[in-house]
Amino acid sequence: MARIQAITVPKWGLTMTEGTVSEWLVDEGDTINIGDPIMDMETSKIVNVVESIVAGTLRRKVAQPGDVLPVAALMGVVAEADVTDAEIDEFIDTFVIDESVSGAPTGAAAEGAAPAAPPEPTPATAAVHEPAPTAATPAAAPAPAPARTGTPSVPEALKSGDDDSAVHATVHARKLAATLGVNLNNVSGTGRNGRVSVADVEEAVTGAGGSLPARGPVERVPEVDAVPADDSGVAATSVARRLAKSLGVNLHSCRATGRHGKVCKYDVEAAHALQGGAPAPAAPTPELAAETAPEVEAVPMSGMRRTIAGRLQASKQTIPHYRVSMDIKLDALLALRKQVNDGDPGVNVSVNDCVVKAVAMALVKMPEVNVQFDEASQTIRRFRDADISVAVAIDDGLITPIVKAANSKTLTEISAEVRELATRAKAGTLKAEEFQGGSFSISNLGMFGVRQFDAIINPPQAAILAVAGGEQRPVVENGELTVATAMTVSLSSDHRVIDGAVAAQFLQVVKRFMETPSLMLA
Amino acid sequence: MSTSFDVIVVGGGPGGYVAAIRAAQLGLSTALVEKQHLGGICLNWGCIPTKALLKGAEVAHTLAHAADFGFTTGDISFDLKRLVKHSRDVSGRLAGGVGYLMKKNGITVVDGVARLAGKGRLSVDNDGRTVEYRADHIILATGARPRALPGIEPDGDRVWTYFEAMVPDALPQSLLVIGSGAIGVEFSSLYNDLGVEVTLVEVLDQIMPVEDAEVSAFVRQLFERRGIRVRTSTRVTAIDRHADSVTCHLEGADGSTESITVERVILSAGIRGNIENIGLEELGVETAGSFIRTDAWCRTNVAGLYAIGDVSGPPCLAHKASHEGVVCVEKLAGVADVRPLDRERVPGCTYCRPQVASVGMTEAQARAAGRSVNVGRFNLQANGKALAIGDATGFVKTVFDAASGELLGAHMVGPEMTEQIQGFGLAQSLEATDSDLAHTVFAHPTLSEAMHEAVLDALGRAIHQ
Repeated sequence: MARIQAITVPKWGLTMTEGTVSEWLVDEGDTINIGDPIMDMETSKIVNVVESIVAGTLRRKVAQPGDVLPVAALMGVVAEADVTDAEIDEFIDTFVIDESVSGAPTGAAAEGAAPAAPPEPTPATAAVHEPAPTAATPAAAPAPAPARTGTPSVPEALKSGDDDSAVHATVHARKLAATLGVNLNNVSGTGRNGRVSVADVEEAVTGAGGSLPARGPVERVPEVDAVPADDSGVAATSVARRLAKSLGVNLHSCRATGRHGKVCKYDVEAAHALQGGAPAPAAPTPELAAETAPEVEAVPMSGMRRTIAGRLQASKQTIPHYRVSMDIKLDALLALRKQVNDGDPGVNVSVNDCVVKAVAMALVKMPEVNVQFDEASQTIRRFRDADISVAVAIDDGLITPIVKAANSKTLTEISAEVRELATRAKAGTLKAEEFQGGSFSISNLGMFGVRQFDAIINPPQAAILAVAGGEQRPVVENGELTVATAMTVSLSSDHRVIDGAVAAQFLQVVKRFMETPSLMLA
Repeated sequence: MSTSFDVIVVGGGPGGYVAAIRAAQLGLSTALVEKQHLGGICLNWGCIPTKALLKGAEVAHTLAHAADFGFTTGDISFDLKRLVKHSRDVSGRLAGGVGYLMKKNGITVVDGVARLAGKGRLSVDNDGRTVEYRADHIILATGARPRALPGIEPDGDRVWTYFEAMVPDALPQSLLVIGSGAIGVEFSSLYNDLGVEVTLVEVLDQIMPVEDAEVSAFVRQLFERRGIRVRTSTRVTAIDRHADSVTCHLEGADGSTESITVERVILSAGIRGNIENIGLEELGVETAGSFIRTDAWCRTNVAGLYAIGDVSGPPCLAHKASHEGVVCVEKLAGVADVRPLDRERVPGCTYCRPQVASVGMTEAQARAAGRSVNVGRFNLQANGKALAIGDATGFVKTVFDAASGELLGAHMVGPEMTEQIQGFGLAQSLEATDSDLAHTVFAHPTLSEAMHEAVLDALGRAIHQ
């Protein structure tokens, strides 16, 4: 590990160009671990917690609350104890924003000034770091940060007061206040725009003669508010709803003075002012303008490319791949497909849809293939349902939307879903949960007339099926030379978790379903 | 050239080319098949060139009233060919613009006649050479054409459709227009302004049957004052074609008959969808009359097949087609905030003199739907701007739901009304109430003040009448 490491502004989406520091959740001198929440950061779209992807002692906070920083800008410095302040100063002075990082989805740190490590959350095919739905064993997730130990003592004077739901406070401060029973009306906010921070709550408690246990690393809390977070049910004008979203105001906390009892623009501005916010700017802020401007440079695509490169290189280098291939005769399947397609105008089943269905049913029969491998914890996560990642080529890359629980879907459902997912993949409208995860992948290059190919495993999955094109071939049956339509499939498996015999048996099952498709109905 | 796309659009009119652009914008590989003219009827033979001709009619009208503004005009001559040339030039320029937009968005334009060859498959014939294309999503935007009446088939010479009416070599002495929808009414007004003797025949009991009865009656009165003969509740039972004239036999609903001999006839008795010879039957595509049946997202009953614009049913208007093109593509691409088109909220504009524009329900439709309504009216005679420009003929009518204050419909007749109807469209889209509109400040002096006053009148408190 480098002796000095940077904490930088993360990139949470293709359109994110900068973030605003809301509040540090750790102090200089604190020891932080990978995965610890270290800061609240706002973008024009969300408020989110920055998690550290480095470990060590936070030596310097470079960014201060309220700072607006571009993606990949330096926010803080983590270093070991023996690094001198002068070395840290020099590191800060010579730090350069890595332009390639700022264009790519990345985590919150870069090692030294060197290019970032392969980023974690990515839109690319290999980004499959979701907890398994049926996790047999929890993954080696970052250990939960220790909560406060000991018993706090809070003076009664701080506990009474009116409903404090409208007090402008950070999520963490509100959570802490709730835990301690402190009414936020009794706390004066010193944060940005007068917002109450965790420090303010602590200050109020100790200032009033109370005491707090020693503070461990901050516990990660889900974003909750005193008012219901979902305000979609509140009657509001369109302008008010949008303004509330951009100002971070919950419509539940607004009065409704508009006609017909709707929350109107004035109400949102009033609630915002009450929460300590500045009056809404008349013109869009540069940040908003920047977000709505169309992306001109295709820089994010190169980020995807780099992610694909990094992940698949790691896969090929670290996973002991081996391949098993088999020829599958398609005549029965094609006949079935024709019957289905001719019988219902609303259905257009492709051969690939049938492959998805057959593989899904085979995975349920052979759960030892329907797995993810967690290398860190040496755990095999076995899935109950077959969540099948289907590789879709898009501009300058590929993405693997998932047909979830394909084993419980009809061929018609799978067909409609694959078509929709593929189109949405190309249009870039997939949600993260629609392409992250999956228990098995299928890559089909049949439409290019490919006769046979091998695919690289999409970790943490343990197998991928490469499907080539169907074609008429001479075959020998019972000593007779005949013509059959056939295709070749090749299964790449991770030998650490799937043995050769298992892979071969799995292909046999797939072949049986495809060559006798009525079995898929049985 | 690739023959496989995410989206293929059939038809390059205002529905098709807009759908193609939106699809390309969303990152989908897109092709557009067009058999003749990019821009479709709208740009080449409809909305745009007729507006260019109608401007000529307006100039004629202005010149006739130049004296009101202190101008003495000498002998005025008129060259029809130059007006027609202006109209064609505008069409040519815009069609070129569509070609540019296709190129700019990376859309593959395929020349030829398309036919569905199966689900997700399309064969395109270009002068006998057939190429098969594939796409996950095929959008039919094949448009519509004039509806022929038995015995009154257009012949391109004495019995015209809008195609011939748009490029006359010479002005006829007399003209009989069959059908008083937007097309019939616009040509009646145009040719009347250019000095042609016009008869307008409508089978229903009012001209512009989709418009509010008060608007229709008002326009009829003005037309008749201009010398246009109007016959409603009347059908053309037969025509006799002569060497350079046509005798039309009319029959009224009351049994009365009449024969009128004119030089030319324009047939504008509605349109029908272009659903033939595109392979719909083989795929089992459901139709309704001459139109393709679609759901709220423009999907047909066939997987991966969509229909937008005129071919998917009325209202057959360019802006409806364009809007459907966007809705259809955004839905199939999974765009988050897409909403279905509400066909009841498509504005309609007729560019006769005076202009007619409307959105939403007529008063009669609202009452028939069982709504308790508040109706407001304001006459342009009390609008300062209308008087100043010397064109204070017209009115604005609003129809509100008495209970909720919702704007159910708005109907406008008079100068520049087509430019203003969007104000009421916005109000409907944002679900503004009568009081929201009353609270809105309208600029003075504008024609749009009449819109405000018509709202106030519905609330019983118009200021200037």
